[in-house]
Amino acid sequence: MTTAKYGMTIDLDRCTGCGACMVACAVENNVPPAPAGAGDRKGITPIRVFKVDNGRPFPEHRTVFVPVLCQQCGHETPCVSVCPQQAVDVDPATGIVGQMPERCLGCRYCMAACPYHARYFNWWDPEWPPGMERTLNPDVAPRMRGVVEKCNFCHGRLHAARLRVAAAGKREIAAADYVPACVEACPAGAIRFGDLNDSASEVALASRQESSFRLLEQLGTQPKIYYRSRREWVREIAAAPRPPAMPLGRKTRVAEERKEKVRG
Amino acid sequence: MDRKLISRGLERRPAADFLRWILPWAALLAFGIYAAALCLVKGLNQTNMDNRFAFGLWIFVDLTMIALGAGAFFTGTLLYILKVRGLRAVINSAVVIGFICYSGAVAALMIDVGQPLRAWYTFWYPNVRSMLTEVTFCITCYLVVLSIEYLPVLLKNRRLKQIPSFLVFEFELHKLMYVFAGVGTFLSFFHQGSLGGLYGVLRGRPFAFREGFAVWPSTFFLFILSAAAVGPSFVLLTAWAVEKIAGRQLVHPAVFRSLGRISGMLLSVYVLAKTIDTLIWINRTSPDAGFPAWQFYAWQPFGTWILFAEIVVFGLVPVAMLLCPGVRGRKGLLVTAAALACCGVALNRFVLTVQTLSLPTLSFDGFMTYWPSWQESATFLGVIAYGVLLYSFSFRYLNLFPDERELAGEALEPRQAPVLAGRF
Amino acid sequence: MLPWNYGFHWSAGTIIFLGAFYTVLVVILSTLANALWRSWRDVRFEKAEALRWMSDFHDLPARDRSCRHELTGDVKVRKCPHAFDCRICELHPKFMARQRPESRQATPESEIFGLPFPLDRLYHRGHAWVRPEPDGTIAVGLDELGKRLIGEPDAVDLPPVGARIQANGTAWRMQKRGADFRVLAPVGGEVIVVGGQDQEWYLKVRPEDQPPDTRHLLAPHEVKPWVMRELERMQIALGARALGASLADGGVPVADIAAACPNADWDAVCGEMFLEP
Repeated sequence: MTTAKYGMTIDLDRCTGCGACMVACAVENNVPPAPAGAGDRKGITPIRVFKVDNGRPFPEHRTVFVPVLCQQCGHETPCVSVCPQQAVDVDPATGIVGQMPERCLGCRYCMAACPYHARYFNWWDPEWPPGMERTLNPDVAPRMRGVVEKCNFCHGRLHAARLRVAAAGKREIAAADYVPACVEACPAGAIRFGDLNDSASEVALASRQESSFRLLEQLGTQPKIYYRSRREWVREIAAAPRPPAMPLGRKTRVAEERKEKVRG
Repeated sequence: MDRKLISRGLERRPAADFLRWILPWAALLAFGIYAAALCLVKGLNQTNMDNRFAFGLWIFVDLTMIALGAGAFFTGTLLYILKVRGLRAVINSAVVIGFICYSGAVAALMIDVGQPLRAWYTFWYPNVRSMLTEVTFCITCYLVVLSIEYLPVLLKNRRLKQIPSFLVFEFELHKLMYVFAGVGTFLSFFHQGSLGGLYGVLRGRPFAFREGFAVWPSTFFLFILSAAAVGPSFVLLTAWAVEKIAGRQLVHPAVFRSLGRISGMLLSVYVLAKTIDTLIWINRTSPDAGFPAWQFYAWQPFGTWILFAEIVVFGLVPVAMLLCPGVRGRKGLLVTAAALACCGVALNRFVLTVQTLSLPTLSFDGFMTYWPSWQESATFLGVIAYGVLLYSFSFRYLNLFPDERELAGEALEPRQAPVLAGRF
Repeated sequence: MLPWNYGFHWSAGTIIFLGAFYTVLVVILSTLANALWRSWRDVRFEKAEALRWMSDFHDLPARDRSCRHELTGDVKVRKCPHAFDCRICELHPKFMARQRPESRQATPESEIFGLPFPLDRLYHRGHAWVRPEPDGTIAVGLDELGKRLIGEPDAVDLPPVGARIQANGTAWRMQKRGADFRVLAPVGGEVIVVGGQDQEWYLKVRPEDQPPDTRHLLAPHEVKPWVMRELERMQIALGARALGASLADGGVPVADIAAACPNADWDAVCGEMFLEP
């Protein structure tokens, strides 16, 4: 089996912010319904769409929707190195950062380490109202209370794909065999998934585009999620956090002035 | 009523008075246990921690308690290994405080993690690259060492020492105490450091991330220094507090001055190291990660005043006070300086836990706020109550301050001042 | 933790880390085991009594641990490093050799501050005395200061005939007005006859070695400075809590000091004077 390096490319110019990816993810991964008291910060959303604007008033006000999920960091993965019990590891065959909720102690150190806030803690015991257990996905184990979970590129689907091709006598899975739930659900086709090692794949091609960027690239974590946008101000959100005293607009203006100077 | 349990020659309040002192703390402890039970039974949704504030009051309090409990290992090192004999006057008290701080911190940690019954996984599948593994191993071993150091203090109780096997065991254990002091020093060095390393290695949090030496970020060494510096101060502070509450002299003023001087010297080294580290961070580490350092202080209420407070108000000021013999001679000023030093360490731990998590990393994220829920606060207060209770019982029935009897006699016969060995 | 666990990698970091951990664990456990084994051995060989005295001595305040040679002025300041066991002290023979012969031959007084301290016996710092009897046994009794301190004891626990006592161990126990303390045995040996407070002596002991080693007992010329220091210590112990005439006002200790000082913490006073902290 050749080693794959699964990654995603998310076209921010296409994302409409509908949230279908979030719903599909929750359904696929047996995320329990939110109990009373679960707010924005206590819910489990392995993929999460942020609404970001350019900080300018009308009529220059622009918005973009950014789906953020586990970036599957490839280099010095922060969560892998900090877990005291080796409950997280990077699969060398696929590049997927896998979490073992059964091993997890719930110390939440990985949550502090993740710069993308892509890890979520089970603050409650999972509970499904009677009848709703029929929505459960049999390929994915629900997590118990007190453990951390995150996006794992729908690992259950990868296993299912491998079993299918093995049953058919083949060894390699084709690109179309394995597609995470969010990719499948996105109506605008903004999220694309594939093998970054395959230079002909869509994600590999997109990642080499000039309009592609990764979040917090200067931290050196080598994430495998490439975002794309032809809008300059959207590309800047990958950079440093901006304090309230300095809205993004000003930074964009400064960058444009600099570009003008370079162009001469 | 319990006269037979109290050491000979030591005056203690009547049992009824003692009960009156104990009862409110016991009630607070019961309330804390109830809150902790709620968290264990219902889950951590009882707290106000969330996915963005994964560490809250408990972690901050744990780190502070462990830093303050460093007095146990440091006083032990000074006494048993460096032979500063004057500290014999406070070693028992320091050991009890260390035991309280570490056992309280471990208890709080067990409530804090989502699956306490899986705590042994860290030992079974350790990740040697993780600072938290190091912390777990070291703190467990050190708690064992502290329990062994507490045992002789306990076995010297008037009733217990009448049992021949207890007496003999205490005697033999005391003869080997230097081994435990040495092991304690080794373990403390590493776990105090690793607690700092926890935050220094977080590449994803440029506010906390620091470069360092080999695998250890600079916060590793800063934490060791600050813990060693503040340990004697806390021993001093508690001894003074107990003197005030018990209403009698327990420790020679020279010992207080000695503790203050040791604390001041180490604190000065720490403040210097911290200043250098902060300058390196502002000028190199943070910009290299793509974040100008001033940006982190643009979010209120955590402005640059917090840095100023940590280094100057709670750093330089106690250093200046503790290194000045005139200040050390005045009990009120000495105690104030010690308290300032302890607050400085608490502030440092706060900055690295709460402030670090409150600052956003993604540019489209905001500044987060957090306030502990009543269950968290109650559990924390329950741990404090446990500490006060354990110390109260230890003070009443054990000989925590060997100089107490002498000082009581000295009050009547001042010309018979006993000879004290040691450097003051 | 162990090589066959999942996730175990033989790397430098693992070896150093686990090596350090196992070393620390071994050191802690072996030291604890060592202490336990030594304790078992001590109890087995009946060293508990000797260790009890060592432990008690360690807890005495510094002013109570003055070397006998500090009392007699041979040395300015010295705290006893051997729990008053001058038999094993390397400096004691040197001090004795250095003492001027005149000071030793000067006639010691048999009455000090009105208290009789007969010259035919040797005194122990725990207020017991020793007198070799013609039949080879040794009589052990309580000295005058001790007698007046106790007055009429509420109870006396004497060891049974045939029991062995150890030097600096427990000779017998006494109780008075809430105080329960032991009197230090000045010599070791087998108890032959048991006396009582109505007799001159409390015990008659056949010593372990003939002639008995009495180097740790006070020589006649040392008794006076010692008694003076003991009276000072008694003053402090009776201290602020007691009322009534004290030595500073002039006078002689009364026959029953316990009865004369009803407000004193009697338990503490006896503990102080009989060296049982």
